[in-house]
Amino acid sequence: MGRSRKSSAASSLVALITLCVASLVLFTIYVKEDDSGPLHTVQLGAAEVLRPVRGLFGLATSPVSAASERVEGALDASEKRELEARALEYEEGAAEAARLRDENERLRDLLDGERPSFTYSPLARVVAPVGGQLTERVVINGGSDDGVAPEQPVVVGNNTLIGRTTDRVTPNTAEVLLVTDQNFAAGVRILPPKAPQGETDEESTTSGESTSRESTADGASGTSEREPDFGANSHGEGLLRTSWEGYLGVDYVDLNADAEQGDFVVTSGRAGGRELLFPPGLLVGIAESVSSQDINQYKNIVVTPAAKAEDLQDVRVIVDW
Amino acid sequence: MALGGAQTHVVRATLLVALAALLEVTLAPLLTFGWVAPRFLILGVVVAVAGLRDLQALLLGFFGGILTDALSGGLFGVGALGGVFAAAVSLRIRVVRRKVGAGPFAAQAVAVAVVVYDLMGLFAPILAGEEGPPVATYLAGGVVPDALLNALLAYLVGGRLLKLMTVKEEKWT
Repeated sequence: MGRSRKSSAASSLVALITLCVASLVLFTIYVKEDDSGPLHTVQLGAAEVLRPVRGLFGLATSPVSAASERVEGALDASEKRELEARALEYEEGAAEAARLRDENERLRDLLDGERPSFTYSPLARVVAPVGGQLTERVVINGGSDDGVAPEQPVVVGNNTLIGRTTDRVTPNTAEVLLVTDQNFAAGVRILPPKAPQGETDEESTTSGESTSRESTADGASGTSEREPDFGANSHGEGLLRTSWEGYLGVDYVDLNADAEQGDFVVTSGRAGGRELLFPPGLLVGIAESVSSQDINQYKNIVVTPAAKAEDLQDVRVIVDW
Repeated sequence: MALGGAQTHVVRATLLVALAALLEVTLAPLLTFGWVAPRFLILGVVVAVAGLRDLQALLLGFFGGILTDALSGGLFGVGALGGVFAAAVSLRIRVVRRKVGAGPFAAQAVAVAVVVYDLMGLFAPILAGEEGPPVATYLAGGVVPDALLNALLAYLVGGRLLKLMTVKEEKWT
């Protein structure tokens, strides 16, 4: 009796395992076969046969179905909201990544343009413009704690001069007078662009003076692929300042100077034997037009700034040179 | 030719399972609320196999599941496995029927079988390479209420069905 019961239990277990395996085999076949496979065909045929029955039940249970759809709609809505939130999160992540990539490029440009003879303050960010119809000033978030002092040159990109600090320097902020402000003035010299390689052997540049390759980062722009030829003879020297008409220009350039449209305007650093406020070789802009009239003693030169004030983001102050 | 008592019982059980499979594919989709739906197949198998021998019960569960798979458009094999498990659960716990009564027995068996069936419904799409529902949400919002609802249904309906299925034929004296 006991043996018979044990035998029955064993055979039941075998049957259970066999049927489970059979079910799994059917599952595997169903998953592996395509839509025209035998199991799919059976389901399609059954669906056709059962269609009238389903229609009858559907008619009878339409109120329940409507309620069910409302419940499912509520569930779907929550899922949709979740997906939308996730999509928004991804978009924010992508935007953040793009911003960081841009910032990385900008900072790389800044570091590439470093000159060994200069001492720079840490990177500072432009935090606010200073209002006023006749002023062109901004505030940066670097101050005396970072070594910033009044009347120091402020640069972006590859040593492109954008202005100088004013007397308003706090431990954490500093006001910057932009080159386009009418109170700004700097001694500059005018240099021709470097000839493309192959056209001349004069490839050497003044020691310690880097080039001003194209850089759109931090507002530095407008120099294209060209570079000033620091080894060439100057096309003239003068004083950079903004006229009351609003034009940035170079004054006091001798009529005999060779200045031409497209020449680079860089800081001169010295006037005769006197050392000026800015170190030499900082790019300021490009001569947009050069004209002269017999009744004037000097050339009339209009300059396009190399850096646009509205694009300024990260800047550095040259605290020593 | 008249059928014997045991054969009559098998035929009755088979008809009940077939009817349950039919309801499972026609009526249950119309009574589905989210992940919760009446599991007619499970209920039918649990009730139908209660008085059968082990092998008969398992085979009936399997073929009930196969019928459901064939008539529905779902993943083939899931219903079959669910039917087999429902039969196995019913067989395993039928010893408690005498102690707790038909209703509670059906409720317990159906609840356990529905949990197994729902878990298979969770993992089968994943095994098939499809996207399954989120596990935690499905367990909380699908499996548990589904088991409770079907247990209630089994308690209310299954007990009576069990009594009907196990009516003993009166012998001629």
